[in-house]
Amino acid sequence: MSDTIIKISHLRKEYPNVTPLKDVNTEIRRGEVISIIGPSGTGKSTLLRCINLLEKPTGGEIYIDGVQINAPKADVPALRRKMGMVFQSFNLFNNMSVIENIMAAPMDILHKTKEEAYNKGMELLRMVGLADKENVLPNQLSGGQKQRVAIARTLAMDPDIVLFDEPTSALDPTMVGEVLSVIRSLAKQGLTMMIVTHEMKFARNVSTRVFYMDDGIIYEDGTPEQIFDNPQKERTRRFIHRLKVFEERIGSRDFDFVAAANRLDLFCEKHNLSAKAHNNIRLIFEEMLMQSLMVHNTDWTSMTFTAEYSEDMECADVSLHYSGSRFNPIEYCDEISRSIIENAAGEYRYDYTDGINDVFFKNIACK
Amino acid sequence: MTINQIQNGTEMTLQVEGRLDTTTAPDLEKQINGIENADSLVLDFSKLDYISSAGLRVLLAAHKTFAKKGGMIVKNVNEIVLDIFDVTGFKDILNIQ
Repeated sequence: MSDTIIKISHLRKEYPNVTPLKDVNTEIRRGEVISIIGPSGTGKSTLLRCINLLEKPTGGEIYIDGVQINAPKADVPALRRKMGMVFQSFNLFNNMSVIENIMAAPMDILHKTKEEAYNKGMELLRMVGLADKENVLPNQLSGGQKQRVAIARTLAMDPDIVLFDEPTSALDPTMVGEVLSVIRSLAKQGLTMMIVTHEMKFARNVSTRVFYMDDGIIYEDGTPEQIFDNPQKERTRRFIHRLKVFEERIGSRDFDFVAAANRLDLFCEKHNLSAKAHNNIRLIFEEMLMQSLMVHNTDWTSMTFTAEYSEDMECADVSLHYSGSRFNPIEYCDEISRSIIENAAGEYRYDYTDGINDVFFKNIACK
Repeated sequence: MTINQIQNGTEMTLQVEGRLDTTTAPDLEKQINGIENADSLVLDFSKLDYISSAGLRVLLAAHKTFAKKGGMIVKNVNEIVLDIFDVTGFKDILNIQ
Protein backbone atom coordinates (compact mmCIF):
# COMPACT_ATOMS: atom_id res chain seq x y z
CA MET A 1 0.00 0.00 0.00
CA SER A 2 1.33 3.44 -0.91
CA ASP A 3 2.36 5.76 1.85
CA THR A 4 0.28 8.54 0.31
CA ILE A 5 -3.37 8.44 1.30
CA ILE A 6 -4.56 11.69 -0.28
CA LYS A 7 -3.15 13.57 -3.22
CA ILE A 8 -4.58 16.91 -4.27
CA SER A 9 -3.52 18.78 -7.37
CA HIS A 10 -4.67 22.17 -8.56
CA LEU A 11 -7.86 21.98 -6.54
CA ARG A 12 -10.11 24.94 -7.20
CA LYS A 13 -13.52 25.79 -5.78
CA GLU A 14 -15.49 28.75 -7.05
CA TYR A 15 -18.84 30.13 -5.94
CA PRO A 16 -20.61 32.88 -7.87
CA ASN A 17 -19.14 35.66 -5.74
CA VAL A 18 -16.10 34.15 -4.10
CA THR A 19 -13.31 31.65 -4.79
CA PRO A 20 -12.30 30.06 -1.47
CA LEU A 21 -9.85 27.62 -3.08
CA LYS A 22 -7.68 28.88 -5.91
CA ASP A 23 -4.96 26.28 -6.35
CA VAL A 24 -4.40 23.72 -3.62
CA ASN A 25 -1.66 21.13 -4.09
CA THR A 26 -0.54 18.65 -1.47
CA GLU A 27 0.04 15.02 -0.55
CA ILE A 28 -0.98 13.52 2.75
CA ARG A 29 0.75 10.44 4.06
CA ARG A 30 -0.60 7.76 6.36
CA GLY A 31 -0.27 8.58 10.05
CA GLU A 32 0.09 12.30 9.53
CA VAL A 33 -1.83 14.61 11.81
CA ILE A 34 -2.32 17.83 9.92
CA SER A 35 -3.69 20.97 11.50
CA ILE A 36 -5.08 23.52 9.10
CA ILE A 37 -4.90 27.04 10.43
CA GLY A 38 -5.43 30.47 8.93
CA PRO A 39 -7.74 33.47 8.96
CA SER A 40 -11.51 33.06 8.52
CA GLY A 41 -12.71 32.73 4.96
CA THR A 42 -9.49 31.36 3.52
CA GLY A 43 -10.92 28.01 2.41
CA LYS A 44 -9.94 25.74 5.33
CA SER A 45 -13.34 24.14 5.77
CA THR A 46 -13.99 24.20 2.03
CA LEU A 47 -10.85 22.13 1.54
CA LEU A 48 -12.11 19.41 3.91
CA ARG A 49 -15.56 19.51 2.33
CA CYS A 50 -14.05 19.09 -1.13
CA ILE A 51 -11.93 16.15 0.02
CA ASN A 52 -15.02 14.13 0.90
CA LEU A 53 -17.10 15.71 -1.86
CA LEU A 54 -19.58 17.49 0.35
CA GLU A 55 -18.63 20.28 -2.04
CA LYS A 56 -18.01 19.57 -5.69
CA PRO A 57 -14.64 20.97 -6.78
CA THR A 58 -14.70 23.40 -9.71
CA GLY A 59 -11.36 22.16 -10.96
CA GLY A 60 -8.35 20.00 -10.13
CA GLU A 61 -8.05 16.44 -8.90
CA ILE A 62 -8.35 14.67 -5.57
CA TYR A 63 -6.98 11.14 -5.26
CA ILE A 64 -7.69 8.83 -2.34
CA ASP A 65 -5.37 5.82 -2.30
CA GLY A 66 -4.51 6.58 -5.92
CA VAL A 67 -8.14 6.65 -7.11
CA GLN A 68 -9.53 9.95 -8.35
CA ILE A 69 -12.53 10.71 -6.18
CA ASN A 70 -13.87 13.50 -8.39
CA ALA A 71 -13.60 11.61 -11.69
CA PRO A 72 -16.94 11.22 -13.50
CA LYS A 73 -17.28 7.49 -12.84
CA ALA A 74 -15.72 7.31 -9.39
CA ASP A 75 -17.35 5.06 -6.79
CA VAL A 76 -17.96 7.97 -4.45
CA PRO A 77 -19.67 6.04 -1.61
CA ALA A 78 -16.79 3.53 -1.46
CA LEU A 79 -14.17 6.28 -1.44
CA ARG A 80 -16.12 8.32 1.07
CA ARG A 81 -16.24 5.31 3.40
CA LYS A 82 -12.50 5.63 3.83
CA MET A 83 -13.07 9.02 5.41
CA GLY A 84 -14.84 10.14 8.52
CA MET A 85 -15.89 13.69 9.13
CA VAL A 86 -16.51 15.43 12.43
CA PHE A 87 -18.48 18.65 12.12
CA GLN A 88 -18.57 21.80 14.19
CA SER A 89 -22.27 21.21 14.94
CA PHE A 90 -22.08 17.49 15.89
CA ASN A 91 -24.92 16.41 13.50
CA LEU A 92 -26.20 13.64 15.79
CA PHE A 93 -29.65 12.13 15.32
CA ASN A 94 -31.64 13.57 18.20
CA ASN A 95 -34.35 10.90 18.09
CA MET A 96 -31.81 8.09 18.62
CA SER A 97 -29.87 7.20 21.76
CA VAL A 98 -26.13 7.69 21.92
CA ILE A 99 -25.34 4.03 21.17
CA GLU A 100 -27.92 3.91 18.36
CA ASN A 101 -26.27 6.93 16.77
CA ILE A 102 -22.99 5.06 16.76
CA MET A 103 -24.39 1.70 15.60
CA ALA A 104 -26.55 2.95 12.72
CA ALA A 105 -23.98 3.44 9.96
CA PRO A 106 -21.88 0.31 10.67
CA MET A 107 -25.05 -1.80 10.45
CA ASP A 108 -26.59 -0.04 7.42
CA ILE A 109 -23.48 0.54 5.36
CA LEU A 110 -20.85 -1.94 6.56
CA HIS A 111 -23.54 -4.60 7.22
CA LYS A 112 -22.18 -5.39 10.64
CA THR A 113 -24.36 -7.44 12.96
CA LYS A 114 -26.13 -5.66 15.77
CA GLU A 115 -23.84 -7.34 18.29
CA GLU A 116 -20.67 -6.37 16.41
CA ALA A 117 -21.87 -2.79 16.05
CA TYR A 118 -22.84 -2.63 19.73
CA ASN A 119 -19.56 -4.05 20.97
CA LYS A 120 -17.52 -1.72 18.80
CA GLY A 121 -19.77 1.20 19.79
CA MET A 122 -19.31 0.53 23.49
CA GLU A 123 -15.58 0.17 23.05
CA LEU A 124 -15.51 3.57 21.38
CA LEU A 125 -17.77 5.14 24.01
CA ARG A 126 -15.38 3.89 26.68
CA MET A 127 -12.53 5.43 24.76
CA VAL A 128 -14.20 8.85 24.69
CA GLY A 129 -15.24 8.48 28.32
CA LEU A 130 -19.00 8.22 27.79
CA ALA A 131 -19.82 4.53 28.29
CA ASP A 132 -22.38 5.46 30.97
CA LYS A 133 -24.35 7.57 28.45
CA GLU A 134 -25.16 4.79 25.98
CA ASN A 135 -28.94 5.06 26.38
CA VAL A 136 -29.18 8.80 26.73
CA LEU A 137 -30.62 11.01 23.96
CA PRO A 138 -28.20 13.56 22.48
CA ASN A 139 -30.18 16.56 23.74
CA GLN A 140 -29.47 15.44 27.32
CA LEU A 141 -25.74 15.80 26.71
CA SER A 142 -23.50 18.83 26.97
CA GLY A 143 -21.86 20.18 23.82
CA GLY A 144 -18.54 18.60 24.68
CA GLN A 145 -20.20 15.22 25.27
CA LYS A 146 -22.12 15.46 21.98
CA GLN A 147 -18.90 16.09 20.11
CA ARG A 148 -17.21 13.12 21.78
CA VAL A 149 -20.15 10.95 20.68
CA ALA A 150 -19.80 12.36 17.16
CA ILE A 151 -16.14 11.36 17.18
CA ALA A 152 -17.01 7.84 18.39
CA ARG A 153 -19.64 7.57 15.66
CA THR A 154 -17.10 8.55 13.02
CA LEU A 155 -14.56 6.03 14.30
CA ALA A 156 -17.18 3.27 14.26
CA MET A 157 -16.86 3.27 10.46
CA ASP A 158 -13.14 2.39 10.70
CA PRO A 159 -12.08 5.29 8.50
CA ASP A 160 -8.56 5.52 7.08
CA ILE A 161 -8.59 9.25 7.70
CA VAL A 162 -10.72 11.51 9.85
CA LEU A 163 -11.45 15.09 8.83
CA PHE A 164 -12.28 17.45 11.70
CA ASP A 165 -13.97 20.69 10.71
CA GLU A 166 -13.48 23.09 13.62
CA PRO A 167 -14.53 20.46 16.16
CA THR A 168 -14.43 22.81 19.14
CA SER A 169 -15.70 26.06 17.61
CA ALA A 170 -19.30 25.58 18.72
CA LEU A 171 -18.37 24.56 22.27
CA ASP A 172 -18.45 26.44 25.50
CA PRO A 173 -14.79 27.16 26.42
CA THR A 174 -15.04 24.86 29.45
CA MET A 175 -15.75 21.90 27.16
CA VAL A 176 -13.02 22.44 24.58
CA GLY A 177 -10.42 20.56 26.62
CA GLU A 178 -12.32 17.26 26.85
CA VAL A 179 -12.79 17.12 23.07
CA LEU A 180 -9.21 18.07 22.31
CA SER A 181 -7.95 15.40 24.68
CA VAL A 182 -9.93 12.74 22.77
CA ILE A 183 -8.46 13.96 19.47
CA ARG A 184 -5.01 14.01 21.04
CA SER A 185 -5.34 10.35 22.08
CA LEU A 186 -6.37 9.43 18.52
CA ALA A 187 -3.25 11.15 17.21
CA LYS A 188 -1.14 9.04 19.54
CA GLN A 189 -2.76 5.90 18.12
CA GLY A 190 -1.50 6.85 14.67
CA LEU A 191 -4.82 7.70 13.04
CA THR A 192 -4.45 9.93 9.99
CA MET A 193 -6.25 13.19 10.62
CA MET A 194 -6.80 16.60 9.14
CA ILE A 195 -8.03 19.16 11.64
CA VAL A 196 -9.27 22.64 10.85
CA THR A 197 -8.81 24.51 14.09
CA HIS A 198 -8.38 27.87 15.74
CA GLU A 199 -6.77 26.27 18.81
CA MET A 200 -3.15 27.21 18.16
CA LYS A 201 -1.66 25.54 21.21
CA PHE A 202 -3.42 22.32 20.35
CA ALA A 203 -2.32 22.52 16.71
CA ARG A 204 1.23 23.00 17.84
CA ASN A 205 1.23 20.09 20.29
CA VAL A 206 -0.77 17.48 18.44
CA SER A 207 0.22 17.88 14.78
CA THR A 208 3.00 16.35 12.79
CA ARG A 209 2.43 18.94 10.08
CA VAL A 210 0.68 22.29 9.82
CA PHE A 211 -0.93 23.96 6.81
CA TYR A 212 -1.26 27.71 7.01
CA MET A 213 -3.99 28.55 4.52
CA ASP A 214 -4.47 32.01 3.12
CA ASP A 215 -5.75 33.48 -0.08
CA GLY A 216 -7.13 30.16 -1.37
CA ILE A 217 -3.88 28.22 -1.26
CA ILE A 218 -1.76 26.30 1.24
CA TYR A 219 0.37 29.34 1.85
CA GLU A 220 2.89 27.62 4.08
CA ASP A 221 3.31 23.93 4.86
CA GLY A 222 5.70 22.85 7.58
CA THR A 223 6.34 21.20 10.88
CA PRO A 224 4.70 22.82 13.91
CA GLU A 225 8.13 24.12 14.90
CA GLN A 226 8.58 25.84 11.56
CA ILE A 227 5.12 27.33 11.36
CA PHE A 228 4.88 28.49 14.96
CA ASP A 229 8.49 29.34 15.82
CA ASN A 230 10.05 30.23 12.53
CA PRO A 231 7.47 30.94 9.84
CA GLN A 232 9.11 31.59 6.50
CA LYS A 233 6.44 33.79 4.99
CA GLU A 234 5.20 37.21 5.98
CA ARG A 235 1.48 36.45 6.24
CA THR A 236 2.10 33.33 8.32
CA ARG A 237 4.21 35.36 10.70
CA ARG A 238 1.52 38.00 11.05
CA PHE A 239 -1.13 35.40 11.72
CA ILE A 240 0.92 33.39 14.22
CA HIS A 241 1.88 36.44 16.24
CA ARG A 242 -1.67 37.79 15.93
CA LEU A 243 -0.23 40.92 14.44
CA LYS A 244 -2.44 43.90 13.87
CA VAL A 245 -1.09 45.77 10.91
CA PHE A 246 -1.43 49.40 9.94
CA GLU A 247 -0.26 50.27 6.46
CA GLU A 248 -0.15 53.72 4.92
CA ARG A 249 0.94 54.25 1.34
CA ILE A 250 2.38 57.66 0.69
CA GLY A 251 2.22 58.82 -2.90
CA SER A 252 3.84 62.25 -2.88
CA ARG A 253 5.41 64.94 -0.72
CA ASP A 254 2.03 66.66 -0.61
CA PHE A 255 0.32 63.74 1.11
CA ASP A 256 -2.33 64.56 3.69
CA PHE A 257 -0.37 64.16 6.94
CA VAL A 258 -3.32 65.06 9.18
CA ALA A 259 -5.60 62.44 7.61
CA ALA A 260 -2.87 59.78 7.70
CA ALA A 261 -2.06 60.56 11.35
CA ASN A 262 -5.77 60.29 12.17
CA ARG A 263 -5.91 56.85 10.57
CA LEU A 264 -2.92 55.83 12.64
CA ASP A 265 -4.63 57.12 15.80
CA LEU A 266 -7.78 55.17 14.99
CA PHE A 267 -5.74 52.01 14.48
CA CYS A 268 -4.03 52.44 17.85
CA GLU A 269 -7.32 53.12 19.62
CA LYS A 270 -9.13 50.24 17.93
CA HIS A 271 -6.52 47.71 19.02
CA ASN A 272 -6.12 49.14 22.53
CA LEU A 273 -2.45 50.00 22.27
CA SER A 274 -1.05 51.48 25.45
CA ALA A 275 -0.73 55.28 25.54
CA LYS A 276 3.03 54.89 25.41
CA ALA A 277 3.02 52.57 22.37
CA HIS A 278 0.57 54.87 20.58
CA ASN A 279 2.67 57.93 21.34
CA ASN A 280 5.92 56.31 20.24
CA ILE A 281 4.51 55.02 16.94
CA ARG A 282 2.99 58.44 16.27
CA LEU A 283 6.33 60.12 16.99
CA ILE A 284 8.26 57.85 14.64
CA PHE A 285 5.66 58.45 11.95
CA GLU A 286 5.87 62.20 12.30
CA GLU A 287 9.62 62.61 12.85
CA MET A 288 10.60 60.31 10.00
CA LEU A 289 8.15 61.65 7.48
CA MET A 290 7.80 65.31 8.35
CA GLN A 291 11.27 66.12 9.67
CA SER A 292 13.38 63.93 7.43
CA LEU A 293 11.94 62.19 4.39
CA MET A 294 9.49 64.82 3.12
CA VAL A 295 11.96 67.64 3.74
CA HIS A 296 15.34 66.23 2.71
CA ASN A 297 14.67 63.36 0.32
CA THR A 298 13.59 64.54 -3.09
CA ASP A 299 14.19 61.24 -4.82
CA TRP A 300 11.70 58.64 -3.70
CA THR A 301 8.68 56.90 -5.10
CA SER A 302 6.04 54.61 -3.61
CA MET A 303 6.64 54.86 0.11
CA THR A 304 4.94 52.56 2.62
CA PHE A 305 4.74 53.08 6.36
CA THR A 306 3.84 49.95 8.32
CA ALA A 307 3.15 49.55 12.03
CA GLU A 308 2.68 46.06 13.46
CA TYR A 309 1.35 45.39 16.91
CA SER A 310 1.44 41.95 18.51
CA GLU A 311 -1.46 41.43 20.88
CA ASP A 312 0.21 38.34 22.32
CA MET A 313 3.47 40.02 23.18
CA GLU A 314 2.22 43.59 23.59
CA CYS A 315 5.02 44.86 21.42
CA ALA A 316 5.22 46.91 18.26
CA ASP A 317 7.51 47.33 15.29
CA VAL A 318 7.45 49.99 12.60
CA SER A 319 8.98 49.94 9.14
CA LEU A 320 9.32 52.28 6.18
CA HIS A 321 10.00 51.16 2.63
CA TYR A 322 10.64 53.38 -0.36
CA SER A 323 12.40 53.18 -3.66
CA GLY A 324 14.89 55.69 -5.04
CA SER A 325 18.49 56.42 -4.21
CA ARG A 326 20.11 55.60 -0.89
CA PHE A 327 18.67 57.74 1.89
CA ASN A 328 19.09 56.82 5.55
CA PRO A 329 16.49 59.09 7.17
CA ILE A 330 17.99 59.30 10.65
CA GLU A 331 21.13 60.90 9.23
CA TYR A 332 19.01 63.87 8.17
CA CYS A 333 17.26 64.36 11.50
CA ASP A 334 18.37 67.11 13.84
CA GLU A 335 19.46 66.27 17.35
CA ILE A 336 16.01 66.78 18.87
CA SER A 337 14.31 64.55 16.34
CA ARG A 338 16.98 61.89 16.65
CA SER A 339 16.70 61.79 20.45
CA ILE A 340 12.95 61.31 20.17
CA ILE A 341 13.34 58.43 17.73
CA GLU A 342 16.09 56.72 19.68
CA ASN A 343 13.93 56.84 22.77
CA ALA A 344 10.83 55.54 20.95
CA ALA A 345 12.44 52.49 19.33
CA GLY A 346 14.79 50.03 21.00
CA GLU A 347 16.49 49.24 17.74
CA TYR A 348 16.95 51.14 14.48
CA ARG A 349 18.10 49.39 11.32
CA TYR A 350 18.59 50.67 7.81
CA ASP A 351 19.19 48.58 4.67
CA TYR A 352 19.57 49.58 1.06
CA THR A 353 19.35 46.89 -1.61
CA ASP A 354 18.62 47.12 -5.31
CA GLY A 355 17.17 50.60 -5.17
CA ILE A 356 14.94 49.89 -2.15
CA ASN A 357 15.38 51.62 1.20
CA ASP A 358 14.20 49.60 4.22
CA VAL A 359 14.04 51.26 7.61
CA PHE A 360 13.11 49.24 10.69
CA PHE A 361 12.22 50.38 14.17
CA LYS A 362 12.14 47.37 16.46
CA ASN A 363 11.06 46.93 20.07
CA ILE A 364 9.08 50.09 20.35
CA ALA A 365 8.58 50.98 23.99
CA CYS A 366 5.00 50.01 24.87
CA LYS A 367 4.98 50.05 28.67
CA MET B 1 -4.99 71.89 19.04
CA THR B 2 -6.60 74.85 20.74
CA ILE B 3 -4.91 77.69 22.60
CA ASN B 4 -6.57 79.68 25.33
CA GLN B 5 -4.86 82.99 26.15
CA ILE B 6 -5.13 84.60 29.62
CA GLN B 7 -3.34 87.83 30.52
CA ASN B 8 -2.62 88.73 34.13
CA GLY B 9 -0.70 91.98 34.37
CA THR B 10 2.60 91.45 32.59
CA GLU B 11 2.22 87.67 32.63
CA MET B 12 0.67 85.87 29.71
CA THR B 13 -0.66 82.31 30.13
CA LEU B 14 -1.31 80.09 27.14
CA GLN B 15 -3.34 76.96 27.86
CA VAL B 16 -2.48 74.53 25.09
CA GLU B 17 -4.88 71.66 24.46
CA GLY B 18 -4.48 68.67 22.12
CA ARG B 19 -1.43 67.89 20.04
CA LEU B 20 1.60 70.02 19.34
CA ASP B 21 2.95 68.58 16.10
CA THR B 22 4.17 69.55 12.64
CA THR B 23 0.80 70.89 11.61
CA THR B 24 -0.13 72.73 14.82
CA ALA B 25 3.25 74.04 16.04
CA PRO B 26 3.19 77.01 13.61
CA ASP B 27 -0.08 78.17 15.24
CA LEU B 28 1.54 78.25 18.69
CA GLU B 29 4.57 79.99 17.25
CA LYS B 30 2.37 82.66 15.68
CA GLN B 31 0.48 83.18 18.92
CA ILE B 32 3.69 83.51 20.95
CA ASN B 33 5.22 85.92 18.44
CA GLY B 34 2.07 88.01 18.63
CA ILE B 35 2.38 88.62 22.40
CA GLU B 36 3.08 92.29 22.94
CA ASN B 37 2.21 93.46 26.41
CA ALA B 38 3.76 90.73 28.54
CA ASP B 39 7.19 90.15 30.03
CA SER B 40 6.74 86.59 31.11
CA LEU B 41 5.08 83.57 29.53
CA VAL B 42 3.39 80.63 31.22
CA LEU B 43 2.59 77.58 29.09
CA ASP B 44 -0.06 75.45 30.76
CA PHE B 45 0.21 71.93 29.31
CA SER B 46 -2.38 70.22 31.52
CA LYS B 47 -4.37 69.35 28.40
CA LEU B 48 -1.47 68.74 26.04
CA ASP B 49 -1.44 65.06 24.96
CA TYR B 50 1.44 64.95 22.53
CA ILE B 51 4.53 66.85 21.51
CA SER B 52 6.94 66.22 18.65
CA SER B 53 10.20 67.89 17.66
CA ALA B 54 8.26 70.55 15.76
CA GLY B 55 6.62 71.60 19.04
CA LEU B 56 9.91 71.49 20.92
CA ARG B 57 11.55 73.86 18.46
CA VAL B 58 8.80 76.40 19.07
CA LEU B 59 9.32 76.06 22.84
CA LEU B 60 13.04 76.54 22.43
CA ALA B 61 12.58 79.74 20.41
CA ALA B 62 10.04 81.08 22.92
CA HIS B 63 12.34 80.20 25.79
CA LYS B 64 15.12 82.22 24.18
CA THR B 65 12.84 85.19 23.53
CA PHE B 66 11.47 85.33 27.07
CA ALA B 67 14.80 84.62 28.72
CA LYS B 68 15.72 88.16 27.77
CA LYS B 69 12.56 89.41 29.53
CA GLY B 70 10.71 87.98 32.52
CA GLY B 71 11.20 84.30 31.61
CA MET B 72 9.06 81.36 30.50
CA ILE B 73 7.51 78.68 32.68
CA VAL B 74 6.02 75.39 31.53
CA LYS B 75 3.57 73.86 33.97
CA ASN B 76 1.21 70.89 34.47
CA VAL B 77 3.11 68.64 32.10
CA ASN B 78 1.79 65.09 31.77
CA GLU B 79 3.98 62.01 31.90
CA ILE B 80 4.20 61.40 28.15
CA VAL B 81 5.24 64.97 27.36
CA LEU B 82 7.62 65.03 30.32
CA ASP B 83 9.27 61.90 28.98
CA ILE B 84 9.97 63.73 25.71
CA PHE B 85 11.41 66.72 27.63
CA ASP B 86 13.61 64.26 29.45
CA VAL B 87 15.06 62.37 26.47
CA THR B 88 15.67 65.51 24.44
CA GLY B 89 17.39 67.37 27.28
CA PHE B 90 14.62 70.00 27.43
CA LYS B 91 14.09 69.17 31.08
CA ASP B 92 17.40 70.91 31.79
CA ILE B 93 16.71 73.89 29.56
CA LEU B 94 13.11 74.75 30.34
CA ASN B 95 11.73 75.97 33.62
CA ILE B 96 9.21 73.21 34.32
CA GLN B 97 6.87 73.42 37.27
